[in-house]
Amino acid sequence: MIKVKQTKIDEEKFMEMRKQTLALWPKASKEIDLDEAVAYQQSLPEDKSFVKVLQKYSAEGKMGLFPRQGTPIVENEIELLQSLNSVGVRLFPFTTDSYTRNLQLDKAQAGLEESIKTGKAKLNGYPLINHGVKTNRRVIESCAGAMDPRCSQKANSLVGEYAFASGMTAMPASFFGWIAGYDKKATVEECIDTAQYLGRLMGYYAEQGVIISSDLHGWLPNGVVPTYVNVATQIIEALTAAHQGCKSVHPQANFQGNYVQDIAEVRLFRKIFRKYLDKYGFQDVLIPGIIASQSPLYAFPQDVGTAYGYICYIANLAATAGVDACSVKTIDEAIGVPSIESHIQTYRAANWIFEVVRSQKIEVNNKDIDLEVAMAEKAIDAIMDKVYELGDGDITHGTIKAVATGVLDSPFSINIHAQDKVLGVRDLSGACRLIEFGNLPLPEDVKDFHREKVAAREKAEGRKMDYYVSIDDFWAISKGRLLGTRN
Amino acid sequence: MDKITIITGTVGVDAHVIGTKIISRVLRDEGFNVVELGAQTPPEEFISAAQETAADAIFMSSLYGMAEMDLQGFKEKCLEAGLDDLLLYIGGILGVMRHDFNDDEEKFKKLGFDRVYPPETDVKVAIADLKNDLKVKGGKV
Ligand code: B12
Repeated sequence: MIKVKQTKIDEEKFMEMRKQTLALWPKASKEIDLDEAVAYQQSLPEDKSFVKVLQKYSAEGKMGLFPRQGTPIVENEIELLQSLNSVGVRLFPFTTDSYTRNLQLDKAQAGLEESIKTGKAKLNGYPLINHGVKTNRRVIESCAGAMDPRCSQKANSLVGEYAFASGMTAMPASFFGWIAGYDKKATVEECIDTAQYLGRLMGYYAEQGVIISSDLHGWLPNGVVPTYVNVATQIIEALTAAHQGCKSVHPQANFQGNYVQDIAEVRLFRKIFRKYLDKYGFQDVLIPGIIASQSPLYAFPQDVGTAYGYICYIANLAATAGVDACSVKTIDEAIGVPSIESHIQTYRAANWIFEVVRSQKIEVNNKDIDLEVAMAEKAIDAIMDKVYELGDGDITHGTIKAVATGVLDSPFSINIHAQDKVLGVRDLSGACRLIEFGNLPLPEDVKDFHREKVAAREKAEGRKMDYYVSIDDFWAISKGRLLGTRN
Repeated sequence: MDKITIITGTVGVDAHVIGTKIISRVLRDEGFNVVELGAQTPPEEFISAAQETAADAIFMSSLYGMAEMDLQGFKEKCLEAGLDDLLLYIGGILGVMRHDFNDDEEKFKKLGFDRVYPPETDVKVAIADLKNDLKVKGGKV
């Protein structure tokens, strides 16, 4: 029996849930007082508000950088943030380490202590709970810009409590990200439940005039697939959070590396999120801007030259597509957590491109882009209709049933409840097409469009488009090609 | 002849599942018996799976940089469990930040791994090594 439902959790019940969350860590209830936290948030300058910073980029037609950052030792973290400030970064995802994300806080503590002792980062992120509210506030106040922490399902509610009490103003209530890439065993219902908590907490702050924005990640495309399911699931995340009182969402265009397809995606984003939020009565939910994620989730080039090539290509694509900020990975991406120096060099290159390309205000118009927009919109509408139908009008129920039946599905996901029956390859122009539709409820003409494109490549290369071609394509981009070849 | 059994998975709370999924598929297509534990597998689960399936080798992955902490005492636990002959291979990205692979190799050999692979090593390399190592041990192949 499904227990969650889409309707807003009432305040009394929510306060009960909060008690349980804060009980997960002995210091939490001493450090976090909701009224004090709201007052602290209200006292922060505008540049700490994720919504305001993103809206400003959008209004000025400029583009922000959105890096990956987060390191365990406080002094190093402050130095990192200030260095990023020096190359213009004002929007900061805040990466918590993987132990924190999984509520293994004693291990996070051991890793933190070992890092301090050796002077080297032994954790792959910033242990936001262990450092505590006071230290977090000092870190956040040490630089200009707004913070947006990252987490997984297990620790998400507690990290959210800490983050907002510390002055952070965005966070993903994005449960499909967990299903795709972070949580092996959590059920879809548990993921929704956790996302609703965060949406409800954002709702509480919003009632006091503090707007905290939810990132939408959707079911991250782990392989060479078109982003139909990714976008549909971002819409689902937006609606789920909105039902809980969240008043701002910022979608993420996950670039897959093909110019036409990725520009089409951004164009579609400009209307489709508004369309669905309005349709279900959330006219008052803001979309402060669109952020592109520069990196498809493929292996990154290992050598510096090829990595620059890739980074600059995607920066150019993002600037041409006209997003408001772009998550740019660094030249160290394939090697490990990036150093300050590699951040700086990478972002100088990206900024150069953003500035020069954006200042030319190029309008790209072509029939191929229009066709991709039309195909994607049809596909996404069909998926959304099916999810609502399965849930009898309740998006949460529909989602649970849709994942179980593969109506929502995407390859190479970590979560054991995913069907993993869908697969894609690139067509001759490098656009992502499906070779296995699984149980996705796509309209027949969309399927035919994909079949034709796949057949054309099959003919040109004289080989069957199968799993191993998909893997070849997956590696290609790190080798400076779009289409994989067998070697 | 018995099929060679290999256990795959990423260790600790490492969520990077794509590589280990691909490795498992390739190994299966190459005729091995694969026990696919997937991502986020605690070290103890590798050991119990090895006991239950009388596995010949573990192809462990770690990308997130924290394997060293996850694997303290792992070899000792394998020995305690009577898994003296079990071959331990590991690959992925074994440290945090830019660093020298030779340091990784040394560290993980000390932790009891028979072979340590640099980032993006083709599984086929490890398959060839495995056949060799098993021959040396006078086992299957
Ligand atoms: C995709 C990706 C993700 C996806 C994973 C999606 C999924 N479903 O798996 C998502 C977005 C979820 C993710 C999350 C995180 N990631 Co990540 N991610 C990557 C990325 C871009 C690619 C990894 C990948 O899939 N490669 C492709 C596969 C096919 O290759 P592979 O796993 O290496 O495996 C192949 C070979 O290496 C080899 N191999 C692997 N294991 C073994 C074992 C043996 C025995 C042998 C012989 C061979 C072998 O064979 C495999 C098949 O060909 C890398 C950077 C990079 N390398 O480009 C970062 C990276 C691994 N991630 C990193 C980090 C830190 C994280 C996060 C903490 C968030 C963050 N970015 O800060 C979280 C951690 C979550 C967790 N609990 O672990 C860091 C690790 C840092 C470090 N070691 O210093 C990296 C290096 C990025 C970076 N530079 O910061 N990530």
